[in-house]
Amino acid sequence: MTGDSRYEIHQDAYIKLVLHSLKHRSSAVNGVLIGRSSADGAAVEIVDSVPLFHSQIGLLPPLEIALIMIEEYYGEKGLSVVGYFHANERYDDLELAGVAKNIGDHITRYFPEAALLLLDNKKLGDLPKGKDRSPVLQLYTKDASTWKLAGSKGSNQLTIKEPSANTVLLDYISSEKWNDIVDFDDHLDDISKDWLNTELFA
Amino acid sequence: MVSKTEEEQVNRLENQVDNGGGGAWEYLCLVRKLKLRRSDKVLKYGFSILNDSKKRSALGPEEWTLYEQVAIAAMDCQRLDLAKEYIKNLQRKFPGSKRVGRLEAMLLEAKGSWSEAEKAYSSLLEENQFDQVIHKRRVAMAKAQGNISGAIEWLNKYLETFMADHDAWRELAEIYVSLQMYKQAAFCYEELILSQPTIPLYHLAYADVLYTLGGLENLHAAKKYYAATIDLTGGKNTRALFGVCLCASAIGQLTKGRNKEDKDGSELPSLSAVALDKVYKKQSPTKISLLSSTLKNLKISL
Repeated sequence: MTGDSRYEIHQDAYIKLVLHSLKHRSSAVNGVLIGRSSADGAAVEIVDSVPLFHSQIGLLPPLEIALIMIEEYYGEKGLSVVGYFHANERYDDLELAGVAKNIGDHITRYFPEAALLLLDNKKLGDLPKGKDRSPVLQLYTKDASTWKLAGSKGSNQLTIKEPSANTVLLDYISSEKWNDIVDFDDHLDDISKDWLNTELFA
Repeated sequence: MVSKTEEEQVNRLENQVDNGGGGAWEYLCLVRKLKLRRSDKVLKYGFSILNDSKKRSALGPEEWTLYEQVAIAAMDCQRLDLAKEYIKNLQRKFPGSKRVGRLEAMLLEAKGSWSEAEKAYSSLLEENQFDQVIHKRRVAMAKAQGNISGAIEWLNKYLETFMADHDAWRELAEIYVSLQMYKQAAFCYEELILSQPTIPLYHLAYADVLYTLGGLENLHAAKKYYAATIDLTGGKNTRALFGVCLCASAIGQLTKGRNKEDKDGSELPSLSAVALDKVYKKQSPTKISLLSSTLKNLKISL
């Protein structure tokens, strides 16, 4: 259970999370990761993601409704919640917020290898400069009772399935694609908005 | 705080200007009036007006208000070069002005020169200790530097003097929620409800905080405030409808096996469920099955 795992995130799931953060630059945002364990149990596949909130992240009611609906929808497809994503309010803040840890703890109760991803703004800002193919996210996993940051030397690694994901991401950023992202907050304010973002990459 | 119609109006204008349909000045005025933070658009449209000498002179004295608005937007977008230029123009037009002095201090803040900005704000405050904007910039600076406890301290001090500033109470409540200090957040919302009891947003936020605090008493109270929100919004607030269902479910779980008197026998949960069902059928039919399973999960029957 606390053995090292590889974490592989699909491009669409990855891009949704970053675009969501870019849509709400002056607030913290969060989301959940959807996926499954690989057949051999040595890796976790993050197949999709659902952007959740951009305001009052510490409140339970919207989170509970969102999780019920998300688990219901993805459960039918044989997928479950395998992690949590968080982007802090401030540019240079890489501290793991209490709320993030709490929600992460809750998820590990159902999926012990849950991944906690934190947006790394500096890495995101540096993307246009280099040819970095690694995700602009920090990976945390639960080790006993604390969340530990995965280093580049450890075997807990986060990779993006599609190697050109960052190029696609930069493309979307320049076309301001973040405007089209819908999160659960948007849905609760106007339920005609689709938190599944089915049309986003269509 | 904006109403739904106001937000729709602004978005419509924004779309119009985005697609070349004109109306930039109306948009900028509306954003200013509603105190919205849309800095990238304000910068883009403001810049195009200010850069065009014909458009600029057509504004008359409003030109200077626009300089101020776009300077602030430029700082928000880290275009400090533009901000500096606009502030210089304002300095030339209004030498010795406190209002421009405030912008200069904000520029220091935007640069990250915290101690210089702090000095500038302090000296401005010496001359006018009731300048609310400057007090709030102090809070913003503390927040920007990651000194959240400092921000809370400043904000509390500010509210001792300016206790009618609802935006400040909301900001404080939101900071408390982000730190999971729910009791303190509840206090802020109580103040807001006391002073503005007909604003549904406060009842809703208070209910959310009470639910998060948990415990039977808080859940019952949360249910009342969700009900108040439903009342004040004519049943149109989805969050409040869900809130009622969540409360009923949580109360049911806590009172399992207790006497019937402790149980909650009102019709409110099922009425909310019916309302949710109706609105999902109309506006989000693809998600109706998810709604049904959610209600089933919460043990609410239609």
